Amino acid sequence: MAKPRHVDKTRGSGAETGALPLAKALDKLRKAYGTGIELRDDRGSLALEGAVATWRDKIDAGWAAARFGYRGVVNDLAVPGLEPERLEPPGIKDCSLDGLAVDVAVIGGGVIGASVARELARWNLSIILIEKEYDVAVHTSGRNDGMIHDGFAAKPGTKKAWYNVRGNRLWGSWARELGVDFKRQGSLVLFRGRTSAAAYPLMASRAKENGVDGWEYWSRSRVRAEEPNASPGQHGGFFLPSAGSLSPYKATVAIAENAAANGVRVSFDTCVLGFDLESESIAAVRTNRGTFRARAVVNAAGNWADAVAGMAGDRFFSLHQRRGSDLILDVTTGVTQKHIMSMPSLFQAREKTKGGGLVLTPEGNILVGPTARELPGREDYATAPEEIRELERHLKVNVRLSLSHVITYFAGVRPCTYEEDFIVEPSQRVRNLVHAAGIQSPGLASAPAIAEDVSAMVVRVLERSMAVRPRADWKPHRLAPPELRRLPLEERARLIAANPRYGRIVCRCEEISEGEVRNALRSTLPVSSLDAVKRRTRAGMGRCHGGFCTPRVMEIVASETGTGLCDVLKKGEGSWMCAGPSKSGGRS
Amino acid sequence: MSVGLQSMETDVVVLGAGPAGLAAAVSARSAGARVLLVEREDRVGGILKQCVHDGFGLEKFRERLTGPEYALREADAFRASGASLLTEAYVTSATRSGDSSFLLDCVSPRGVAQVRARALVMATGCRERTDRQVFIHGDRPAGIFTAGLAQYMVNVQGLLPGRRAVILGSGDIGLIMARRLTLEGVKVEGVYEIKSEPSGLARNVRQCLEDFGIPLYLSTTVTSVRGRRRVEGVTVAAVDGRSRPIPGTERELACDTLILSVGLIPENELAVSLGVPLDGATRGPRVDQNMHTLADGVFACGNAVHVNDLADYVSESGRVAGGAAAAWALGGPQARDLTPLRAGPGFLYAVPQFVDVLSGERGSVFFRSNATVAAGARVSLGAMKDDDRRELAAKTYPVLRPPELERLVLPPELPSGADSYILDMERMDGGGNDA
Repeated sequence: MAKPRHVDKTRGSGAETGALPLAKALDKLRKAYGTGIELRDDRGSLALEGAVATWRDKIDAGWAAARFGYRGVVNDLAVPGLEPERLEPPGIKDCSLDGLAVDVAVIGGGVIGASVARELARWNLSIILIEKEYDVAVHTSGRNDGMIHDGFAAKPGTKKAWYNVRGNRLWGSWARELGVDFKRQGSLVLFRGRTSAAAYPLMASRAKENGVDGWEYWSRSRVRAEEPNASPGQHGGFFLPSAGSLSPYKATVAIAENAAANGVRVSFDTCVLGFDLESESIAAVRTNRGTFRARAVVNAAGNWADAVAGMAGDRFFSLHQRRGSDLILDVTTGVTQKHIMSMPSLFQAREKTKGGGLVLTPEGNILVGPTARELPGREDYATAPEEIRELERHLKVNVRLSLSHVITYFAGVRPCTYEEDFIVEPSQRVRNLVHAAGIQSPGLASAPAIAEDVSAMVVRVLERSMAVRPRADWKPHRLAPPELRRLPLEERARLIAANPRYGRIVCRCEEISEGEVRNALRSTLPVSSLDAVKRRTRAGMGRCHGGFCTPRVMEIVASETGTGLCDVLKKGEGSWMCAGPSKSGGRS
Repeated sequence: MSVGLQSMETDVVVLGAGPAGLAAAVSARSAGARVLLVEREDRVGGILKQCVHDGFGLEKFRERLTGPEYALREADAFRASGASLLTEAYVTSATRSGDSSFLLDCVSPRGVAQVRARALVMATGCRERTDRQVFIHGDRPAGIFTAGLAQYMVNVQGLLPGRRAVILGSGDIGLIMARRLTLEGVKVEGVYEIKSEPSGLARNVRQCLEDFGIPLYLSTTVTSVRGRRRVEGVTVAAVDGRSRPIPGTERELACDTLILSVGLIPENELAVSLGVPLDGATRGPRVDQNMHTLADGVFACGNAVHVNDLADYVSESGRVAGGAAAAWALGGPQARDLTPLRAGPGFLYAVPQFVDVLSGERGSVFFRSNATVAAGARVSLGAMKDDDRRELAAKTYPVLRPPELERLVLPPELPSGADSYILDMERMDGGGNDA
């Protein structure tokens, strides 16, 4: 296991390390964003209080404050008309976790929490992963374009750069072990004009500084030969062979399933409500499903990580939300390009994102995006018409694409600190808490590397009170359930002979069989919602968007879970599919 | 248990056992061909099975039947024909094998079969456009259904999709579901149509909305959906002449269900994989009057070719396609001489898009106008030769509406040597075509 390394050059630890004095900082912020702002040094972090006129001012003030050299920015500026968001626990209340005592509690079933749980499962530890939703990867981890970035775009010296490059390398072995379909198609950044082509040496030196695994200059004719459908406006490109893509929710499911197979207990619909603190440590975790003891706690709570940190009295940072939308193009478009492609404009260099492009998925769809909008709403996935227009420009990068290929679109929310870097570190105030917070893009690419480091930090916490030894029976491999459409006919025939349900196609667009749907419901993770099935199998993800297969999948869910059709849910609690039987009383 | 690939051989494979496929299979069988009908579901009948309303069969049977009744008659005829049937079977790939046959990989609970056939009839029907394809924004909770899905839930599964519904789109299935849901006790808040006239048949507007007091809002659309877990409401807005929402006209409606009837798209993924060219207007294969596509040996019929308004027309195209496919498979004339048939101004499209002048079959031209012509119009078919138009057939229609498919019977004799055939519209009010 790699030793954790800290490349934290950007973050000091409070006023003593040469941060801008409070009075000067206040003066600057008030000049720019109004006199309603108050400042406080909160144990080394800069706390912004009072009020500003707009959400945008709040975000801008946070970014400005992040440059003053404090440990973190805690932005509590009020904005007229906007109530601060509260974490809403699920309606379910029971005591299934009461009295439990574990070595590690991982909070959050995103790709980070699942990966940390998987890494920790190498040791002789009892571990629980708690997730407030009905499945893993419901939020940010399931709502992104699945790109495994090369690491070129991250600012040199940041944790993002460090974890991205290492995570990218690790994904090769992780994907093999977990049976996740991961392709390194490489990323081709096209030059829009001669001026941008001239930036190649700068790009190369940045790639080198970040330790990126390979880069090449491609001439205009090389691009034309490799990507005949690339925009005729291209002036060559910068090629990064280590970039790739995978299905982010399938990968998270695979990681969590492997963790569960190695003994990690996964508890869905479970939300942390608070902690019982004893002598600067978390003694117990309070949830809507009971209170349990834990020797160490990992905060991988995604868009709520600052709130969870606050429950432990360690809110030294706060998160803001950058919403991004992607278009999904029909699977037939995948043959029109071989690489991930983008054609950034020069203006994007100043933006806080990489600008988006065309991500070719292993399934053959193309994802177009993402956008980047600073909006309140930690779980608000509403899309807007202007985003479609904004994304339309990416379609021009491949001349064969048009809006008529769009089968659907979705939004996700990136949890961002004002420093715009990851937080991967043990808490400075709570002795048994480790934070993995602010994991925005490229968080998916970085996840395996973050998990290794967080796991090592947790082990150090635990070693103070117990002996931590490797587990002899740790199984790195997960046997992926078969995907029949990808198998040779003879192999399909063999599987169907053994289980005829593999021969009954339920989803006609994506060619998914009943057997595959049942496998999804029988995994090591206890799921039963239609969207959980969709994420695992692609049933309902095709061009008819569930128009034909939804009733069939509902019937299979009902039969697997032993409930009635009327109890089938789309996406957890409250997402009912039907109001009851019709007048005739339902099917006999 | 036997493992391995089964192998089958036949003359004609028909894909899809809805009304088009059933008619095609019967017709191909009665022409003497060996026929295999492949169906994805466990029963034949296609979408008709869930259409419990009546109005089917007026043309074909001169009777007013429900969908299941119509399907039953067709299924009986199919059973009597002696054609073979493979249910719960799904064709994963179709390839041309040699120059005169096709090879289909067919998956079913009984195993994997490789079927060799000399002709294919695509009777694959159509699918519904979804909320994403009409760019509705906002949240994505449970409670958004296409009309056909809601129809299946109510009529086949016996489930109510919700209690308070808004219907977007006035396509026929949307209109029929407005009535069906109302009868089931669901409160239907209204039907919203982005266009300035209804998309469904006039009789359905009358019988499904007006008779039940369900309001129809024209030039209005749903712009976004609200609700985290289940639909809690939608926003509707008036649209301008270019279908863009007019700012300031937005209205919030409380509902738990949004039903979409926003168009049907012919399903032709398999046909396309065989190199069958599609028509941009119909989104189905371009065919001649024998329903023969531009790929030799591949025939198509029903809603896979273009979206029909009546099941009767679907059956008719199936009969034509099946007969022609049998003749082709049994070694009938393989030469074709295709002359294009174009729709002039004022039409959405015309089918067939070609006439095979070597073929004895004549049939009809089916067409839709692109706008309502209330004053009526005279529609004529002309043969073009060196800028010279010779009229071959004509008919006067008292009214033309885009939702209603009309037909013009081709004359028994077609002059050879025409450069093309053209369908023209002459409006009775002398008005031009503003399309």
